[in-house]
Amino acid sequence: MEPRRAAAAAAPAVLLCLLLAYVLGPGAGPLGMGVPLPEITVERVDFEGSEIRATVRNTGPIPVEIAHADVNDRIQPAAVEPDRHLERFEAATVRIPFEWNEAEPYVVGITVGDGTRFEVAVAAAAPATPPSWGLAGSFAAIGALVGVVPVAIGMLWLPLVRSAGAGWRHAMLAFTAGLLLFLAIDSGAEALDIAGSLAGAFDGPMLVATSAVLAFLALHYSASRLAGAAAAGISISVGIGLHNFGEGLAIGAAIGIGSLAFGSSLAAGFALHNVTEGLAIAAAVARRRPAIPALAALVLIAGGPAILGTWTGGFAYWPAASAVFLGAGAGAILQVVISVAGWIRSEGGSLGRPGVAGGAAAGMLVMYVTSLLV
Amino acid sequence: MASRRLLMAAAMLASAAAAALLSAPSDAQTERRTFVTHSGAVIETHGDVLDPMYTPSTVEFDPDEFLRNFEYGRVSEEDGRTVRDYTIVARDDLVQEVSPGVFFNVWTFNGTVPGPTLRATEGDLLRILFINNGSKTHTIHFHGVHPAEMDGVFEPVGPGGRFTYEFEAGPAGVHPYHCHVMPLEEHIVRGLYGMLIVDPPGGRAPADEMVMVLNGLDTDFDGENNLYAANTVPFYYQHHPIRIEAGKTVRVYVANMVEFDPVNNFHLHGNLYRYYPTGTDAVPAFYTDMVTMSQTERGIMEFEYEHPGRYLFHAHKVEFSEKGWSGIFLVERQGAPDGA
Repeated sequence: MEPRRAAAAAAPAVLLCLLLAYVLGPGAGPLGMGVPLPEITVERVDFEGSEIRATVRNTGPIPVEIAHADVNDRIQPAAVEPDRHLERFEAATVRIPFEWNEAEPYVVGITVGDGTRFEVAVAAAAPATPPSWGLAGSFAAIGALVGVVPVAIGMLWLPLVRSAGAGWRHAMLAFTAGLLLFLAIDSGAEALDIAGSLAGAFDGPMLVATSAVLAFLALHYSASRLAGAAAAGISISVGIGLHNFGEGLAIGAAIGIGSLAFGSSLAAGFALHNVTEGLAIAAAVARRRPAIPALAALVLIAGGPAILGTWTGGFAYWPAASAVFLGAGAGAILQVVISVAGWIRSEGGSLGRPGVAGGAAAGMLVMYVTSLLV
Repeated sequence: MASRRLLMAAAMLASAAAAALLSAPSDAQTERRTFVTHSGAVIETHGDVLDPMYTPSTVEFDPDEFLRNFEYGRVSEEDGRTVRDYTIVARDDLVQEVSPGVFFNVWTFNGTVPGPTLRATEGDLLRILFINNGSKTHTIHFHGVHPAEMDGVFEPVGPGGRFTYEFEAGPAGVHPYHCHVMPLEEHIVRGLYGMLIVDPPGGRAPADEMVMVLNGLDTDFDGENNLYAANTVPFYYQHHPIRIEAGKTVRVYVANMVEFDPVNNFHLHGNLYRYYPTGTDAVPAFYTDMVTMSQTERGIMEFEYEHPGRYLFHAHKVEFSEKGWSGIFLVERQGAPDGA
């Protein structure tokens, strides 16, 4: 029986390999219909010293050669590193010596070997912030300010949550669920927004959807295997952490390319917005009495990624990665919303109760109002 | 056993091939290159240089050869009159490197853009055998005086077809020729044009004569030219300066074949030229360093440089010059060593 089963499993795989060999190999002439067109995407433009640097990726179906670079549709001498030949998905940096003026708009164009020109517009040139330890420190401070500190403050509501009766506790859990639902939708919308700007080759919307579903499954799988006082808190913190990573990315990227002045009003907005995330974790872990170090760990899991996000966004921003992280955040948070709803139900609460319905509504509303501050 | 040994051999071969593939590109990366920018800065890179402006390069079409080449045809005499026979073959399948790294499907008369510069004397009988080896219908429409049926408009020549244009050369001057099949703009801008020079009886005064067809190429088909030049290749005469002699008369036959843009112009540095619009008058109409030309406007420029050195010439519609329509005259004293 065993060899027969093995053969039964292998036969379709072998046939598939033969099919691929035929399609991809030479001689599959009739399949070569249509004209593959070159496509490149200028992923980012940096203004450094007397140079404009464009990061160019081959996002088309065929290899391309970069032929000319231009600024505002005027051909400029340039260098392309590592070289002008780009395989599919390969990226290169085009260095264009150019005396650019701060805060003025520019269009950077790249012409490929068949004469097709691709361009990207920059609304206002701003000097890139060169990586330094000082800048890394500033990014860490900003990340802590918008991530770790507000979450920690929110956690201080834990005693209040703990002393509340079942009805109030359910209301607070529902508040948490509403708040998380907002974050899930927010992350998803943000991810799709970035996905829309990606080249077609990345299949942006499905990249987001796949990231979300994988994160959901991963979190669901690990949550069902975790035990102990902090288990409930860990999954909720991971979800919130992914969301805060995305927020950090956005802040870091904006500062990194000089398009954002990180002012005090923005910091205040993020702080208010994220304090509620601490409350959400408190509500989730209230009944299990975790120790102080465990609570601190939850704060770091939820808030710390904001710091990692500002570093990543500021020093190595890549839109496709941001779409993946934000999509994963949406999926992870959605999993937590379902878990929280499960806890409420298992303790006899239901959405039919005014406290639960009101709590969920309030959570969504508070998040919307505080999001306006950002 | 044998099959197993075969498998192992195949595996070893495959890994050797993979190693070769992986290691091959790294050698090219170690060399450092430099290039000079507009502002004179020297940039060093370990990558490739994209610089059609300052880096000498060769493409299929040779603007140096085209510059001073005149086709006088196969000359014979009939009834005491000079007859010039030419053959012009149209194609629309050639992909040529029109600027370093840019490969574009040009449509050609005799394999080049612009087509050959035909030259005759007023009164000569011209017989131009036109062979269409393209996949589309083409014609040759000559500017100048000729019978209606020789106008290349109502006598379309299909793929594989032939037609002989026969007319008397005249009037003396500079006349463009081009395909006149619809869509006309496309048939012109893809490269089906050239110049016919008709000398007055007795010829013009001796001079260093050259041809400049001002043209542009829309390589991405958006109805705007991506590249401009005198004689097709952008920036070519900038890194291959045209050598001329101080004190000697230079005569440039110039025609504007740029499409899409309403005007083109020709500005000469450090000098003024005598300009003969259409080349039909013996007296220059202007003494200037700047003429503006609309589509197919053409003329003759004559000038002499007093001082040796490098002089720019370019479109003073500087968008065109920044996309390739600029060049340099290198003026040398007679007998002086190269580059003086």
